[in-house]
Amino acid sequence: MIASRSPIVRLAIQAASPLAIMIGAFVLFAGHNQPGGGFAAGLLFGAVVVLRTVAGLQRPEHAIGFLAWGGVIVCVCALAPLLWGEPLLNQVVIEGTVPVLGKVKSGSALPFDIGVTLIVVGLILSLLDGLGATDLSQDAQRTSRVRRAEIDVRTGESSGQDDA
Amino acid sequence: MIWALLAAHVVVAAAVPAFAQRAGGRASLWLAGAPMAATAIWAWTQLGTTTTTSVGVEWVTGLDLEFAFRVDAMGAMLAVLVSGIGALVCVYASGYFSASAVGVGRFAATLLAFSTAMLGLVWAETVWTLFVFWELTSVTSFLLVGFKNTDPVARTAARRALVITASGGLVLLAGFVLFVDAAGSARITDLTALSGGQATAAGVLVIIAAATKSAQVPFHVWLPGAMAAPTPVSAYLHSATMVKAGVILIALLAPALRDTDAWKPLGLTFGIITIVWGAIGALRHVDAKLILAWGTVSQLGLLVTLLAVGTGKATFAAISILVAHAVFKAALFMVVGDIDVRTGTRDINQLHGLARSMPIAFVVSVLAGASMAGVPPMVGFPAKEAAVEAVLGLSGFDQFIVGLGVLGGSVLTVAYTVRLLLGVFSPAGTGHEPTEVAPRRWAMSGPEIVLGAASLLGFVFLTWMTDVVVRPASVLVQQSSEVYSLIRWPGLKDAFVISCIIIALGVVLGWLLHRRRVLDGPIPRGAYGVDLGIDSIVVLARRVAATVQHGSLPAYLATTVLVLLAAITPFYAEVDFDVLYRWDNATQAALVVLVVAASIAATIIRTRLAAAMVLGAVGFGVAGLFFGQGAPDLVLTQLLVETVIVVGFVVGLGALRRRFPAVSRPWLAWRIIASLCVGLVVAVALAASASDRTGTPPIEELTEGAVNEGGGNNVVNVILTDIRALDTLGEVVVLIVVALGIVALAKIRRDEEASGLDAHPIDESDDERLLTEDVTT
Repeated sequence: MIASRSPIVRLAIQAASPLAIMIGAFVLFAGHNQPGGGFAAGLLFGAVVVLRTVAGLQRPEHAIGFLAWGGVIVCVCALAPLLWGEPLLNQVVIEGTVPVLGKVKSGSALPFDIGVTLIVVGLILSLLDGLGATDLSQDAQRTSRVRRAEIDVRTGESSGQDDA
Repeated sequence: MIWALLAAHVVVAAAVPAFAQRAGGRASLWLAGAPMAATAIWAWTQLGTTTTTSVGVEWVTGLDLEFAFRVDAMGAMLAVLVSGIGALVCVYASGYFSASAVGVGRFAATLLAFSTAMLGLVWAETVWTLFVFWELTSVTSFLLVGFKNTDPVARTAARRALVITASGGLVLLAGFVLFVDAAGSARITDLTALSGGQATAAGVLVIIAAATKSAQVPFHVWLPGAMAAPTPVSAYLHSATMVKAGVILIALLAPALRDTDAWKPLGLTFGIITIVWGAIGALRHVDAKLILAWGTVSQLGLLVTLLAVGTGKATFAAISILVAHAVFKAALFMVVGDIDVRTGTRDINQLHGLARSMPIAFVVSVLAGASMAGVPPMVGFPAKEAAVEAVLGLSGFDQFIVGLGVLGGSVLTVAYTVRLLLGVFSPAGTGHEPTEVAPRRWAMSGPEIVLGAASLLGFVFLTWMTDVVVRPASVLVQQSSEVYSLIRWPGLKDAFVISCIIIALGVVLGWLLHRRRVLDGPIPRGAYGVDLGIDSIVVLARRVAATVQHGSLPAYLATTVLVLLAAITPFYAEVDFDVLYRWDNATQAALVVLVVAASIAATIIRTRLAAAMVLGAVGFGVAGLFFGQGAPDLVLTQLLVETVIVVGFVVGLGALRRRFPAVSRPWLAWRIIASLCVGLVVAVALAASASDRTGTPPIEELTEGAVNEGGGNNVVNVILTDIRALDTLGEVVVLIVVALGIVALAKIRRDEEASGLDAHPIDESDDERLLTEDVTT
């Protein structure tokens, strides 16, 4: 759709995705002390996924994997303390000094947050699936490939497959 | 050891299906039998123990919830029966199923899972543990009864069994709540005799729950139907396990609840009616398996009666019969399954002269049948003697009513045993050819021989049976039963004379009924009645759902708005206008103008994409307001949510028309009213909550907790991941469920499109479809 009409949008999204993912990762890890956290990071990743869908770029196809891994991680984080006789969902804080980064403080809340992130991404993927966006992005990929092929024919040089 | 055995059960049960795919169904049955055999051997070494081994982990400290097991003499005895017969059933099933049978791996896994549940039930130390395993037996037996899941009869029977036994489970839960409250402890090992109204109610509920599981009239209707299961299942469920669960429950709780007012009368009512009605049922049927099933009902009635009587002798007799019944009934079911497999029928009218062609089955049947009828030299004889003596030990009305049930039931038991044996094994009369028989399968004959011999050996080693098996267990239920023994040869006392009369009357009755051939069994009206009840509940549920879930979006919205309006009525008075002020700074005013303007614009704009953008503007404006309040986390989340929603709209709009369809005037008015109502509700709710602050804000406590315990400076995130992590866990579970639902719905739609059954095609030309369908019409 948009991608087939506007190469600018397409390229912009393509260029912005890695940045957005880095910001998402930052938001996830920084969330314990600064604004952010699992939900926010999941939404950021989700926004990337939605934008790439609109632009017909490659993106994760299936929600189930995200949901399953997120669910497993969250449940393990919730239940693991029981093995050591601690109450459900008890948090352990670990502190240590790491080269380059310096003093690092983290805890079992981090994997819990990662699980939440995965679930949110899974939810957004499933919403896209529900809107029939999977076909949409495939269509878009097909059209854009056709267009580039046309351009290739006209200019006489190969641009290769850079969808990934 | 207890943990190791239970863990072995669970691990092997999980591994069996995969193993079955590589090694085949029969091998998987042997694998499934291994943990059962190990348990039986270990439990055998614990027989007659005077100590109690308990293990447990505390599950929730404050609620006194404990996941605990105990093995005492009773637990060991029952485990030998449950696991020992279970292992034999596994061997038997490996012969019962043909090599080409499908789903045997599933069968083996389910059988082992059921056995695990049953083992947990007999070893449970707290009533809560017992309850969990009680329910697990209901569920796993449902899977076993419905094993032939393509057969509607089996499915209906399984559903019936589940509904009845699971309803009993609910009753049991209520009973346990009352019981634990009255007793002050959930442990089974330290019971004290209770009395009073609450204990009486608990007793009534426990007896009713036991009656559903142990197939007491009128809850017995599920048991004959459960014969739709493969015969190994019947041999297991209806001898040593499932149906005994109720009896075991009564035995375990009898020390505490025996003295309550309703315990004995209710137990006797259930028991005595069941003895007689079950035995009559056994005499009316022509299917050998159904004869045994109804016989089981009758025997369960006997057990409940004896336990309800509760004297030392009666308890002793009950435990003896419980053991004897498990052994002989398993053997008889196995023989019937053997006959079914090798001749193709279980109808006693069509079976003739099997004594000659199936000698092993014949001998085993005679041994087990004699034990069932209470004929020496079988272990069933001294057990039944004990029951008769228990009756003689009573007096007055009790003796009359219990005697009527026990003695009358015994006569009928002898009669249906004789009728069954004559019907199946007697030489073919004139005009009947002996039934053709397929070759012997040793995997089936072996367990039959073991169990048939066990009935005999129990009588040979009667002293051991008394001292090691029955009495130590019986003493745990009723201390005064320690003086009794199983007696091999009682001499010409009253009880023996009565036994002789019982056997004589029974043989004559059985022979007469054998001569007067019945062509077809009675119609199971009770079972059909239950099915009708279940069906009508389903129909009612469908109607209610169709009425409430009508699918009209405007009507749902209207309902929501009306409920909200009603819900906030008490809060109008709470609003304190003094706490409301204009703004913190003028930027907020600008943002509010933006939000309000965008909101109004969203209602006017006719282009869908533009409306989505304007809605996005509302969201971003609200994010700005959050920022003004100093809530960066909210801002971040709000911005991201709005972004995803707007882009999501763009994705979704691709499938819709460019512009909103026209709206008729009355509809427009209604929508404006509804919108204003929502606004009113939110405004009043917010104002009221801001007006009525009584406690101190928890901000300081939370901040301190976040930094010191959660180890984070972002209080919001620490609340989410640590302080209120359980809430977050619940929320993400909801998210997962919602997402899975969406995926499933999307898949259904894709499948329908793929198969050309597309009911709602999405394309530009189709104007009247999609989200606005209801609004336009």
